[in-house]
Amino acid sequence: MDTPLIAQHAFDIGPLAITWPVVTTWGVMAGLTAVSLILRGRLALRPGRVQAVVELIVTSLDSEIQATIPGDPGRFRVLIGTLLIFVLCANWSSLIPGVEPPTAHLETDAALALIVFVAGLYWGIREQGLGGWLRSFAQPSWVMIPLNLVEQITRHFSLMVRLFGNVMSGVFVISIVLSLAGLLVPIPLMALDMLTGAVQAYIFATLALVFIGSAVSGHDAPHEAPASPSQSAAVKEPPHD
Amino acid sequence: MTFDWTTFALQLINVLILLAILRHFLFRPVAGIIAARQKATDEAMDRASTAEAAAKAAEARARTEAEATASARHEALSKAQAEAEAARAQMIDKARTEAAQIVARGEAERAAQDGAAEATALARARDLAGVIAARALAAQPRDLAGYAARLSGALGAMTPEERAALLGGADLRLVSAAELTPEEMTAARAALSDFHIDPAPETDPALIAGLELRSAAGAVRNSLAHDLEVIAAALGKETVDA
Repeated sequence: MDTPLIAQHAFDIGPLAITWPVVTTWGVMAGLTAVSLILRGRLALRPGRVQAVVELIVTSLDSEIQATIPGDPGRFRVLIGTLLIFVLCANWSSLIPGVEPPTAHLETDAALALIVFVAGLYWGIREQGLGGWLRSFAQPSWVMIPLNLVEQITRHFSLMVRLFGNVMSGVFVISIVLSLAGLLVPIPLMALDMLTGAVQAYIFATLALVFIGSAVSGHDAPHEAPASPSQSAAVKEPPHD
Repeated sequence: MTFDWTTFALQLINVLILLAILRHFLFRPVAGIIAARQKATDEAMDRASTAEAAAKAAEARARTEAEATASARHEALSKAQAEAEAARAQMIDKARTEAAQIVARGEAERAAQDGAAEATALARARDLAGVIAARALAAQPRDLAGYAARLSGALGAMTPEERAALLGGADLRLVSAAELTPEEMTAARAALSDFHIDPAPETDPALIAGLELRSAAGAVRNSLAHDLEVIAAALGKETVDA
């Protein structure tokens, strides 16, 4: 059994060694691109079922963003939406036999966490200015500067590790059960893995939104509007499982 | 556990590319179609609001026109009623005037007819009186002796029973229009001597002229007054028959 802790080499493109997580990611990208192209060609003012579902997702996403960061949700829609969809599709790619989800490898989660970190920096400086963004580290007093600096790193690190740990553990468990019990036994675990993958995608996107929102507002609790219980729980007490 | 920096870099690039792809092919078109639908909905709402405002304005205009129509109708009815009332009063006045004129004409005609009838009656009465007088006078004797002779003739014309009843009655009187002179009385008794009677003389101016014999059992009429009555009765019967 190949360990998921190591990205397996697939092939080489010139000097670049392409691993299977990259290949899987390309597949996810190709699928999402194809679906997007098909959907874009069928968009109409009177929506069909698929378009209605997509519009419902986008509208719900906008509502979530607006509840966390007041203002135009269109600024963050693409980033948060892409993270949500990509993580979800990547997590569910494990349902295809022989495919390991890219998010079960630390490199992918690290890339996602880095994007969230950079987005937080960008939006924080853009909204508050460089001075305002730097001053936000001295909140509520200058004594907190070291802790706030460390928090900036650790919360993105925890974002990366949380996704990696949950998805990787699911892959591990299914691989072990599959090797021990047989073909059909892991199916309940795969269903659970689907649920876990969806929850993790939602948590990742929500935490990314909260982190960016805190960077935009300069406070740890950017959420001012009423939020759903699940979101409030995610904002106030991120899961550490 | 290892960390492959090449995979990390490739995944970073992949996610960024996916960001661009989904932005261009998914989120932007979907957001655009949502915005377009929202815009269409807003425009429809605006049109509906405009139509609603127009409908309300039209309703207000219609209500105002209806009120104006009702007011005009009320005024027209009032005016028509007043005109009808005036016309009715005028017609009544005219009818009364015409009726009064008709009554006056009728009364005038009736008065004229009455006058004419009265004149006709007077003329007829005059003629009748003339006829009566002429006939009566023509039948009268010239003097008392003539009346005495006519009285004697009348007694002679009666049946013996009638004459005996008359002459045998109590209170036999010889009535004249004026008191008889002794000579006249003698002449009268001479004319009646055939009947052997001795009546008491009596005067009755109503006789006008003549000599009558009266008793409790009856009378023999022989006077101008009696002749006038008989002629008038006969003429009246002739007039009725005519």
